[in-house]
Amino acid sequence: MLAIDILIQGFIQGSIYALIALGLTLVYGLLRILHVAHASLFTLGGYLGVLITNATGSLFLALILAMIVVGFVGMLSYRILYRPLLSQPPLIALIASIGIFIASEEIFRIIFGPFSISYVAAPLQNQIEILPGISMSEARIMVVLLAFVLLLGVNWLSRRTRLGIATRATVVDPDMAMSSGVNVDVIRYSIFFIGSAFAAAAGVMVSLLNNLVEPTMGAVPSYKALAIIVLGGLGSVRGALIASLLLGIIETFGTIYLDDLLDRDSIAFAFLILVLMIRPKGIFSKG
Amino acid sequence: MFKKIIFPIIAGAMSLASYAGIASAENIKIGFNVPLTGFAAADGQSALHGAELAVEQVNANGGVNGSMLELVVYDDQASPKEAAPLAIKMITQDEVVAGVSGSYSGATRAAATIFSENSVPYISAYAIHPDITRAGDYVFRTSFMGEVQGRAGAKLIGEMLGKKRVTMITLNNDFGISLANGFKDKAGDFGIEIISEYEYSIKDREFGAIVSKIKSENPDAIYASGYFFTAGPLVRQLRAAGINQPVVGQEGYDSQKFIEIAGDASEGVMITTSLDRDSSNPVTQSFIEGFSNKAGYPADMVGASGHTAILVLADALSRAGNTDKASLRDAIASTNLEASTGQISFNALGEVQKDVQVQVVRDGNWHHHSVVSDAVLLAPPAE
Repeated sequence: MLAIDILIQGFIQGSIYALIALGLTLVYGLLRILHVAHASLFTLGGYLGVLITNATGSLFLALILAMIVVGFVGMLSYRILYRPLLSQPPLIALIASIGIFIASEEIFRIIFGPFSISYVAAPLQNQIEILPGISMSEARIMVVLLAFVLLLGVNWLSRRTRLGIATRATVVDPDMAMSSGVNVDVIRYSIFFIGSAFAAAAGVMVSLLNNLVEPTMGAVPSYKALAIIVLGGLGSVRGALIASLLLGIIETFGTIYLDDLLDRDSIAFAFLILVLMIRPKGIFSKG
Repeated sequence: MFKKIIFPIIAGAMSLASYAGIASAENIKIGFNVPLTGFAAADGQSALHGAELAVEQVNANGGVNGSMLELVVYDDQASPKEAAPLAIKMITQDEVVAGVSGSYSGATRAAATIFSENSVPYISAYAIHPDITRAGDYVFRTSFMGEVQGRAGAKLIGEMLGKKRVTMITLNNDFGISLANGFKDKAGDFGIEIISEYEYSIKDREFGAIVSKIKSENPDAIYASGYFFTAGPLVRQLRAAGINQPVVGQEGYDSQKFIEIAGDASEGVMITTSLDRDSSNPVTQSFIEGFSNKAGYPADMVGASGHTAILVLADALSRAGNTDKASLRDAIASTNLEASTGQISFNALGEVQKDVQVQVVRDGNWHHHSVVSDAVLLAPPAE
């Protein structure tokens, strides 16, 4: 029973990682840029979730608004940060991204204050018995459901729509896609919108689970999401999703059973080193 | 147009500068390093509010020996590599008569060494690492060491609450580890059996796995170290999982923010700390009122600690009668002062000797629960 309980906890954690890592791996696939500042958008999403819920009383509205607003901020970050740097080596964009991430923590602190902010009346806190002896708060169940729905949506988008097909074409060969009439810039803006909106959804979910948002809440996701997309094979969406779930589960078990050996946050990296020694291109890379 | 705007600005700046020049010539400067940016900025802000309040209160009563106190504030980001050069700057450039740390242990240790080498008195307001006061004779601490508070926690759980099977959840930094060491050290004396211990990192807010495991162990009580931003989510998740046993924390929880984050789950949580909100002590009462007026949020332990450290310094300055560093150091060493965090005196090492306050959350506020008063148990190391 304990094992099942912990497995479910790991699944919840993994779902959050998946929502964050998706945007990161999409951006990498498209632009070959490690978008560290993605974690700032996660934090922004969390803040908007709490503030809008507190102002309006509606978590649903807060979630939708946070995703839309952060989606546009993501597009803006492409426009002012990455687009001018596309002709430069990827390292330049990476350094710029890290700079923006560090600055954003202080900007959040200046705007929202150094103290954490909590929900006035935290929604979705009722307990539901999902299996005999195992109950979860509605918020936890919501995390998994939301991740599932959003990721299914992306899957549908990528398989069934022109945008999705054009995106996949651009990832494989941007020049060829462009010469076939694909507007690469539209694709890039769309990807930044979707990836950032997902990060915002993750931020809202984390704010709900912990009942707090704080300026530094993006610190762990900033580097752990990088580990996840490397594990999954850079740029691979399916790889990133599986790596997210695996890492969530391994970390959760590790918290209990590897406690004396490894800090929870170092488990990701121990796992990463191990995998890269065996499969240098990630678990799910081809070849 | 240009002249019209610029001239008054320059004139204003000059008059300000001359005013500052005259004022600072008479002021007694106290260095204050505090994290105002970075991960510890929330605590830093409280510490600064507390310290500024103390300075305002002292100056409103005529200052010290006819001079006004002046805080020289630097942001150390709770980082040793920031704190060390700032300490040098405070001593050589600002020529402070003494320094106060409103910061965490890492930064405080780095600064303490430099203050001590230069024979300038330095007081740690709430940093808990044992080595801070060992930097030298000029370094004092007005808050409890982690070990001391850990021992008080053991007495509270084992003797006062009579709970024997205890699970520990330990924050794996110097704060959490030293609390855990103190707790384990004395747990046996109070009949406590530690059935398990889990460690977590300061970045963790998600405790699902630990909570599930504790639920399966069914302890009598939980001793959990942490700060309000880790303990808030932790307590919330423990209670949500149906774990209703007593949770005992420490001064790291001591903020209204803890109650805000944990919500109803915070009811009944007990902590060992140094601020008694229901105290009848007028210094404490005026601090609590002054702090919430000044800061715009309720008083917390960190604010009280910053306040206490400045009051101790002001008291010592007035007893020393001058700003000579050696006589100021001796005056601090012989402190016996009623401050916002209780009756303050120091042992030979410069560690504070005082009772531990136990606070409990009732109806959404911290309240008095009991006092751990045991000079032997709570004796800090003297060397």
